[in-house]
Amino acid sequence: MTIRVATDVGGTFTDLVSLVVDPATGTQSVRIAKADTTPPEFERGVMTVLGKAGIPLDRVDFLAHGTTVVINALTERKGARVGLITTEGFRDVLEIARGNRPDFFNLHYRKPPPFVPRHLRRELAGRISFKGEELTPLDLSPLPGILAEFRAAGVQAVAICFLHAYAEPAHEARAVAAVRALWPEASVVASHQITREWREYERTNTTVLSAYVQPAAARYLGRLKSGLTEAGFGGRFYVMQSNCGVETLEAVAETPITMVESGPASGVWGAAALGRLIGEANVLALDIGGTTAKCALIENGQVKLSSDYWIERTRVTSGYPIMVPVIDLVEIGNGGGSIAWLDALNKLHVGPQSAGAMPGPAAYGRGGSDATTTDANLALGRINPDYFCGGEIVADMPAVGRALDALATPLGMTRTEVARGILRIANNNMVNALKLVSLNRGYDPRDFTMIAFGGGGGMHAAALAAELGVRKVVIPAAASVFCAWGMLMSDLRRDYVVTRVADFTAEKADDVAALIAETQQRAHAMFAAEGIAPSQVRFDVYGRLRYQNQEHSVEVPMPAGPLDAAAVADTTARFHDIYQRHYTYRLDVPVEFVGLHLVAAAEVGKLAPSPLRPTGRTLAATVKGHRSVDYALEGAHDAAIYDGDMLEPGMRFMGPAVIEQPGATTVVHPGQQVTVDDFGNFHIQIAATEG
Amino acid sequence: MAAPDAAADPFTLAVIQSSIAAIGEEMFAALRQTAMSAIIYEVLDMGTGITDPDGRLAASGCGIPTFVAVIDKAVARVIALHGTAAIRPGDLFVTNDPHFGGVTHLNDIVLLLPVFADGHLVAWTGNIAHWPDIGGMVAGSMGADATDIWQEGLRLPAVRLFEAGRAVAPVFAIMRANTRLPEALEGDLWAGIAALRLGERRIVDLVRRYGRAAFAAAMADAFDHSEQTSRAGLRHLPPGRHSLRDTGPDGQVWTVHVEIAPDRFTVDLADCPDAAATPYNLSRDGAVIAAQMIFKALTDPGQTANAGSFRPLTVITRPGSIFDPPPHAPQGLYFESRIRLIDLIWHCLAEAMPHLLPAGHFASICSTVLSGLNPDTGRRFTVVEPQVGGWGATEAADGISANFAAGHGETFNCPAEIAEARYGVLVGQRRLNDAPGGAGRFRGGRGAVTEWRIRAPEAFLSVAYGAAPRHPWGLAGGEAGSPNYVEVDRSDGGRERFTVATHLALRQGDVVRLVTGTGGGHGDPARRTLA
Repeated sequence: MTIRVATDVGGTFTDLVSLVVDPATGTQSVRIAKADTTPPEFERGVMTVLGKAGIPLDRVDFLAHGTTVVINALTERKGARVGLITTEGFRDVLEIARGNRPDFFNLHYRKPPPFVPRHLRRELAGRISFKGEELTPLDLSPLPGILAEFRAAGVQAVAICFLHAYAEPAHEARAVAAVRALWPEASVVASHQITREWREYERTNTTVLSAYVQPAAARYLGRLKSGLTEAGFGGRFYVMQSNCGVETLEAVAETPITMVESGPASGVWGAAALGRLIGEANVLALDIGGTTAKCALIENGQVKLSSDYWIERTRVTSGYPIMVPVIDLVEIGNGGGSIAWLDALNKLHVGPQSAGAMPGPAAYGRGGSDATTTDANLALGRINPDYFCGGEIVADMPAVGRALDALATPLGMTRTEVARGILRIANNNMVNALKLVSLNRGYDPRDFTMIAFGGGGGMHAAALAAELGVRKVVIPAAASVFCAWGMLMSDLRRDYVVTRVADFTAEKADDVAALIAETQQRAHAMFAAEGIAPSQVRFDVYGRLRYQNQEHSVEVPMPAGPLDAAAVADTTARFHDIYQRHYTYRLDVPVEFVGLHLVAAAEVGKLAPSPLRPTGRTLAATVKGHRSVDYALEGAHDAAIYDGDMLEPGMRFMGPAVIEQPGATTVVHPGQQVTVDDFGNFHIQIAATEG
Repeated sequence: MAAPDAAADPFTLAVIQSSIAAIGEEMFAALRQTAMSAIIYEVLDMGTGITDPDGRLAASGCGIPTFVAVIDKAVARVIALHGTAAIRPGDLFVTNDPHFGGVTHLNDIVLLLPVFADGHLVAWTGNIAHWPDIGGMVAGSMGADATDIWQEGLRLPAVRLFEAGRAVAPVFAIMRANTRLPEALEGDLWAGIAALRLGERRIVDLVRRYGRAAFAAAMADAFDHSEQTSRAGLRHLPPGRHSLRDTGPDGQVWTVHVEIAPDRFTVDLADCPDAAATPYNLSRDGAVIAAQMIFKALTDPGQTANAGSFRPLTVITRPGSIFDPPPHAPQGLYFESRIRLIDLIWHCLAEAMPHLLPAGHFASICSTVLSGLNPDTGRRFTVVEPQVGGWGATEAADGISANFAAGHGETFNCPAEIAEARYGVLVGQRRLNDAPGGAGRFRGGRGAVTEWRIRAPEAFLSVAYGAAPRHPWGLAGGEAGSPNYVEVDRSDGGRERFTVATHLALRQGDVVRLVTGTGGGHGDPARRTLA
């Protein structure tokens, strides 16, 4: 028996997916479960969900875990007191930041305060040049005094970031060793352990935030690991990362900041993995939750990462950068709980404010008086009031009516008209977000299949796809626990991003080749320390190339063989093509290499899901009934209501229809055809629209 | 889905309006990602916009607020110069001359594209970006010694760069021949063109989806909505007439009168001095933008700005004056006059309503131009960048430290690590300015100190750090802040301090220190309580 388990701690629920394979027969069974998330002792919810699903922990050989502990510590400001040590002359970099003011007409703009106050930002003499050469030796003599003052000030974690450490980390490494020797109890992290990219503000802030969350993350993971061990778990334990891979506990404990977006990453990774399973290489992933909608683009089965990631960055505030490889997605404040509101001039808006879990949508009956997207979906019959949240909550329809009236009356409209308006505006917000990841980057959404998940994915996907010209939507069988499913499909993965500027020519190619080889060696060494042989490690190598003097680079796959003149010419040609696709023109100027992005991955016993076996149930047996469903633009139709958990491979039916499952509702518009595939996923064929 | 030209219900209008805004932002992102010059992609000294067929601003990408309202004025000028009948699909116009719709100075290249759907002009897409060099008497084109506009570079008088889809090759050739940085120019130009065409495609898709009538109705509705928002904000301001006089470093007195009525906000600059043979003149359109900034901040500080937002605003200028100069007047350093004018209107009103406006900020773009040969690559470099400085305190909080001035917005400083690699200078330090100043119940924010050690055998520095040598003003009993200035420590031991320089020769080992001021304080310092 092989048992693999993934648990995902979300804001409201802790989800579990397990895959059990009988090696004798090859038969698989999938189990899913949900339990309440239990802040601040998140590990309790994890143990509860494991118990609820009846997982025999002593027989589990692979456990992947995703947690929001890092992002929570950041957004709730519940991290450690951090002291920063940086290069002489640069302690205020953290406060100066980039000087921008996104809310540009507002003369009362507040700049986000740094995570380390000025008196805890200290300097050491010593300079490395951008070429990695030492200009001034590092002077560690003030360090004991600095650390004594840090101790006196209650500092718990030390962050170290020196100028140009991305090019040569020797000074940082010496400072880390010295801090450890002088103050073994403090946690300490240096920028080069997290990133090898330039831009000192971004790197310093990243290091500070990693130090800030380190004690909390270490405590949490420690408690979880010992809880699991006590319960008999002796298998391999991995933690989900923002780069769509899993990582060992030891590596995560050192630089926990890489977990910051692990939840969304696992969902997108799940979409990529599902796409590979069902033969869809080009995917638009859409995750609609309670407060936000997230979307990402997958091309040829490859997810896209970016290290230009910021938290708390909105249209009105600059936020904080975290320079680690993070799944490249667009997130907007538009989920099921997003509040519809009228501005002073009676114009209707939806989001970004959310009713959250408390009081939640008006329909929760917990005193929420604002109409949300969920309330509009209920009022239009798209969500079944008698099967709200899988039947766990009785929808308070009078409260929904009152909330919609509060908008309808000033507008001189009916409840239905307002509910349709909410839906259209919410959908348009999501269409704009989907365009940002597709059209905006030179991809035509018509060439992609949409995979939609999260509580609201199935509710909106068919309408969004029709608007964008997407021809097919897939709603995964495990839509409600899809992030946990994605973790189950993850590899041990490490992304190495290294800044190194060089002319990209045949003459200078040796430098680039050396950098690639050197970085691959670093990766092999890390994997070897965990008992993974070089032959098991797979590399994808991308060069970050740009036109000379430009700033923003484009990632171009590098050839597998030697980097000779022909390979350089090929890669350059590929750069021009990719550049033109994204930006519509090309230039006849020299091309520059700015850095390397090396993806190193090793499979850690991933399982391929096997097809389900139909029982021979008839389609009619899956119909729960009929009701009037309002499709907004297409008006109200009598729709068949299907029990999603009863649907079997090979079944096929036409919209108007609604598929109901405990954690997810899928709305199928008139004229759209649904097919259930071998794995229980719903494929919705979108009729071709004009334009 | 919806039938084209379906009755334009309020939700259809809202969907079109948010799509237009998204297109503006997409154009902005595209230009940022492809531009060749650091001043565009890093500093984001650029703006994008969409107007209706008559040049009324419908949407702008984010960026620099004082660039938001340039595109509409440029489109209006192109229409006036060429006539609507002569404007055809596939045309693309370029201008940089304040007298030909360019608004600012010759460095700012405005590109405009008329968008046609099914043979009808439905909109314009436009962008403006600061190019690092457009010729003229000094590298970077902005010389403090310029006495007429011809010394500031190539004038592009709202001419076609493309005619009915075909590139007008001679114009490209003339532009290339008139810059010290032809490669950057080529890249920046194509980045700008690509962004316009992207916006064009998106607008055409939108018009096809919803119909011309609904598209036009959505723009008109947005104008009305913004106008009503502005008027609602205006009614909350205390009515009255306020005046302020300010003596500049040249001894000239600027006088502003602001009259606030329940339905009109009038900024009268008619009493300001005549235009001068210095690069500090500001086009009338530029003066209007200064007034728009303060008007918007007071009535509706949200980000949405369109033609309707500014309908209740009247700006009076006197032809021949510094704010309505004749065509030959140089304008290279117009931005220092504009930020000073913003500061003057702001100050004038802050005295009357200290609860609605912060105390004075460092009030300068602190334009810094350094050029030379990179000692590592041998290639020519030109740094063109503004600096961050201290902002004034408000009634409820200390001022923010080290942010770009009010005319800027999504403007980013250049990281020291990138500056060292790209320009071949050594950044000795970058820290907050601890000079005293800005005391108050709430304190002014700190300015910044940045040091560059020159590694090249020689380099040249031009700066304009505030036309006025005075300190940022305090408010409601708060104290004044500290001034902006530049120092050079010569390798032979000498030290020079100044606020304006043109093409100052520097040698290897010289250290340039860029210092920006602390903002003004708010309230009596004796009432300061530590939290």
